[in-house]
Amino acid sequence: MLAQAPHPLSADQSMPHVRIHGLNKWFGAVHVLKDIDLTIRAGARIVVCGPSGSGKSTLIRCINGLEAFQKGKIEYEATSLGKNTRETAKARRQTGMVFQGFNLFPHLTVLANCTLALRRVLLKPAREAEEIAMRHLTAVRIPEKAKAYPAQLSGGQQQRVAIARALCLNPRVMLFDEPTSALDPEMIKEVLDVMIALARTGVTMVCVTHEMGFAREVADEIVFMDEGRIVEQASSKGFFSGTAHPRARLFLDTVLRH
Amino acid sequence: MGFNLDFALSTIPTIMEALGTTLLATVLSCLGASALGFTLEMIRRGGGAPGLAVRFLIDFIRSTPVLAWLYFLYFVMPFYGIRLGAMTVGILGLSLYYSGYLAEVFKAGIDAIPKGQQEAARALSLNRRDTVVFVIAPQMLRNVAAPLGNYLVSILKATPYLAILAVPEMLGRAFDIASETYRYAEPLTVAGILFLGLALIVAYGVKRVEQRLLAAGRR
Ligand SMILES: Nc1ncnc2c1ncn2[C@@H]1O[C@H](COP(=O)(O)OP(=O)(O)O)[C@@H](O)[C@H]1O
Ligand SMILES: [Mg+2]
Repeated sequence: MLAQAPHPLSADQSMPHVRIHGLNKWFGAVHVLKDIDLTIRAGARIVVCGPSGSGKSTLIRCINGLEAFQKGKIEYEATSLGKNTRETAKARRQTGMVFQGFNLFPHLTVLANCTLALRRVLLKPAREAEEIAMRHLTAVRIPEKAKAYPAQLSGGQQQRVAIARALCLNPRVMLFDEPTSALDPEMIKEVLDVMIALARTGVTMVCVTHEMGFAREVADEIVFMDEGRIVEQASSKGFFSGTAHPRARLFLDTVLRH
Repeated sequence: MGFNLDFALSTIPTIMEALGTTLLATVLSCLGASALGFTLEMIRRGGGAPGLAVRFLIDFIRSTPVLAWLYFLYFVMPFYGIRLGAMTVGILGLSLYYSGYLAEVFKAGIDAIPKGQQEAARALSLNRRDTVVFVIAPQMLRNVAAPLGNYLVSILKATPYLAILAVPEMLGRAFDIASETYRYAEPLTVAGILFLGLALIVAYGVKRVEQRLLAAGRR
């Protein structure tokens, strides 16, 4: 009898999506990432925190190939992210990215923002692309704005559209770089609610954020970075129950006090 | 011998016959200069040896008089076996000359696009061509509408240079009338007024397009 390939949905939950080994990055002479080791398992919900300038954005950007790095390895399941641009492209296709500043295309409607990559990258016909996009816009609770332009939306609405746009390509890992930091306080909740709902669907996510309430609610792992290093990596429970590294403790005290 | 209004009016139909040539030269030169200028800017942006070569070429084009280009193409190229019609040379010369300026305009228009736009395009796996066509170019056009429009008017106003190649555009035709009748004031005044009218129409059209683009930006 022929061996059957396992059904993709029944994949072992502990199988890593991304494995980062000894990652080092320099901006000129500045050493911004130092010996980073991190494994992102399928279904993991990792929150990355740490003081400004500690390298969180750079790490996220290395994971989807927006930044090059000088030493170490990032493995995507079987493919390794390195100098080969085709491999980089393949790896990038497996990640969705949500930026602090939304980065929606201002000249395109909400729907066109979402369908652009579906049509040009996945080569979906227009009708199908719109159906997929509408499904994700509904999931982020903004289907009624499909025909609007980004400038007509509030920051919170724009960020939800950006999440939908990233989801359209059906990424294996969703990367968030401080998705609520540019938002007015009253809009933070609507975005976090969408992200919490997304986490419940089992999407693998790595999220840079200082929203510790969100971290407590959805993260199964907290990574604390300082000066380019991962200083502390713990389960959410362990991190918040006071066993954290002194520097992480200090950081937590300052963010929680706000 | 004063200004003869009747004579002036009588020259209008003859000069207007050349309107088509002027418009054709303007439109084709605008298209040529825009396409070439955008291509040059894309190559320059690509960097490397071609980028460096184009950077030099753009500076060279911008520091040479347009007449030099027209003379070069018309009188020197045949020496190397390349013989082109006067109109073709004229359009080519204006396209080349203004492409150097439009490359600078496009550069400013692209530089003004936030870096996050390219990053979003890359994060969505759009390839370089799609990023230019669907993300960069539309936003660039919005940024450059005003300076681009000014250069289009400049190209219109540069078409009389083609008279030196005997292209029958409006000013050349006015001079023809002048040399036949020994009366300069009337045909040249008529040609001047026609150019003014055309420039105003083009400027108005550019303004309208600009306002629409700005309105689209505010949506
Ligand atoms: N494009 C860049 N060029 C040079 N230095 C950079 C660049 N981006 C970030 N850095 C530097 O790298 C360090 C880490 O930055 P970043 O990853 O943005 O930190 P974080 O997101 O944790 O605030 C900082 O010291 C920052 O100044
Ligand atoms: Mg950052």
